[in-house]
Amino acid sequence: MADTDLIPVTVLTGYLGAGKTTLLNRILSEQHGKKYAVVINEFGELGVDNDLVVDTDEEVFEMNNGCICCTVRGDLIRIVGGLMKRRDKFDGIIIETTGLANPAPVAQTFFVDDTVRAKTRLDAIITVVDAKHLPQRLADSHEAEDQIAFADVIVLNKTDLVTPEELAAVEAQIRKINQFAHIHHAQKANVPIAELLNQGAFDLNRVLAHTPGFLTEDDHEHNDDIASMSFEAENPIDPERFNAWIGALLAEKGQDLLRTKGILSYAGDDRRFAFQAVHMIADGDFIGPWKEGEPRTSRIVFIGRNLNRPQLRRGFESCQAA
Amino acid sequence: MSEIVSADQILDTRGVRRDLGAFVVGAAFDRTGFACAFALGDGTVRIAPPGDGEWASVAAHDGAALSLAAGAVGRAWVSGGDDGRFMAIAADGTATEITAFGMKWVEKVASHADAKAGRLACAVGKLVHVFDAGGKKLKTLEHPSSVTGLVFDAKGKRIAASHYNGASVWFVASSSDTPRKLEWKGSHTGIAISPDGDCIVTAMQENALHGWRLSDSQHMRMTGYPSKTDALGFTKNGKWLASSGADCVVLWPFFGGGPMGKPPTELAGGDGVTCTFVACHPQHDAVAAGFADGLVVMADINSARILPVMGPGRGSVSALAWSPDGTHLAVGTETGFAAVVDFSKR
Repeated sequence: MADTDLIPVTVLTGYLGAGKTTLLNRILSEQHGKKYAVVINEFGELGVDNDLVVDTDEEVFEMNNGCICCTVRGDLIRIVGGLMKRRDKFDGIIIETTGLANPAPVAQTFFVDDTVRAKTRLDAIITVVDAKHLPQRLADSHEAEDQIAFADVIVLNKTDLVTPEELAAVEAQIRKINQFAHIHHAQKANVPIAELLNQGAFDLNRVLAHTPGFLTEDDHEHNDDIASMSFEAENPIDPERFNAWIGALLAEKGQDLLRTKGILSYAGDDRRFAFQAVHMIADGDFIGPWKEGEPRTSRIVFIGRNLNRPQLRRGFESCQAA
Repeated sequence: MSEIVSADQILDTRGVRRDLGAFVVGAAFDRTGFACAFALGDGTVRIAPPGDGEWASVAAHDGAALSLAAGAVGRAWVSGGDDGRFMAIAADGTATEITAFGMKWVEKVASHADAKAGRLACAVGKLVHVFDAGGKKLKTLEHPSSVTGLVFDAKGKRIAASHYNGASVWFVASSSDTPRKLEWKGSHTGIAISPDGDCIVTAMQENALHGWRLSDSQHMRMTGYPSKTDALGFTKNGKWLASSGADCVVLWPFFGGGPMGKPPTELAGGDGVTCTFVACHPQHDAVAAGFADGLVVMADINSARILPVMGPGRGSVSALAWSPDGTHLAVGTETGFAAVVDFSKR
């Protein structure tokens, strides 16, 4: 399918001191035979010579469509456009965000701009967190929580600086925010690169394999804490019903819904349909056929604030074809 | 266009062509119209001399070239690259570094020819640097966010830059250095100025154009594009603004009270293929247009007659430029095809 021609983009987030730059240096210095363009904001920390390093100012703007959560990184649109003109091709783009950055604008950039969408695909958001200091960061900054909520992959770094009990506690804290991200324990960001890049992290079949079980039905989150929920439907989904439901849901609750991801089995189609959204901005495409004999279970995941489990479950189940 | 024997007829009979092997980022004739340069994604600038002679390859940038313009005087050009260098290129193939900006990209370049003092300019992040014709830096103009478009007015008195939430218009020779700020919320990604200097128009992220009439501070909104406008420019007499971004050439009337309340004229449409580049003829009410399938046409605006210049199949058109006298058209595509077509009377 055409998706494989698109250049994968990996977004690297994490607050200052978590080990983001250490990880980036490892990715760039390891001999993996791949060539990456790297977009950074804090040049000088990077210790590796790479002729495809781009230094940028994070420039976020609001889309002029009246939706305040539709924020986009204009600098990335220009940089991706510029990189596409180069003759020497590369295997991926890695975007490092500043420590205090909200990941939404960078993710939304890959949905909103047609030129960017035509050439690249958002592969995964990797968030690096520091096992020792995460509890304190979560207490004092909104961004730390957002960065975990947005992550497809979490590098839980500096595990050597905490006791096994502290590590278990911090992992439980991460899971409370985001049940679905793949967590890697690391010291000095020593995660195998193959586990980080070109993940196709939106393939929920893989992501959900790591899910530690579902919450109970009566769990009804109604506070400012971020939570994550997933739902399944055994019968095929009616595309029209789904579009009507998800469209209305995102329009109404988009500000609270940080990420929405789904793999759907549409009635009468042998291909899997991948759906994803960041706040109100949504995108979807077929991503290849269901495997022979594989149960065609549709799944959807929400990560956000003020999630109403029974309402979301009923809504999703009502999208099944009659 | 079915009555045309071959869409390539003009290219075949009046064009010289090369396969340059890299994305054509920009094309420009020098001020004298002697030669045409093509800036490429492999960092070189190729120079097409008159006739069908050998094209020189100038190693201008280490990386990709991002922008190209004629120099201020003589047989010369200026280019910017993702290696952070602002370069002067001469027709004899010599390349001289005007300034290096380190890690920052030189995304836009512009120049103006003036009998007394030509000017060069380049945009690097939020800064626009202005130089004299010889490359001596005169001043630096700071903007609230990265500059995405840069243009001198017809007289060279002012320079206008697009950025987030509007555009800034500066007097080049002013010592006070405060711009006239034109505000409109959103990301503005390109800019044009009318020949009389009264209208500034920007392209926007939201598939629209926005304009300001300076004399009475009138806003102008031009919407309805299915995709982003990458190229826009006024005809020589200022009557029409030509733009890419639709499946035809979109021409907004800047006369008779327009563009407010007037529909645009649409030319060379009907194939459902996006127009990716436009270049207005330097003298007549005509516009050259390139499309995503590689088709290049010339459109006579008043008669709506369309003349095919080059048929589809050589890559999405990424650059078009007229010689100053309007006798030659340069064409470049994303896949590295380049041609110079001679329209002069024979």
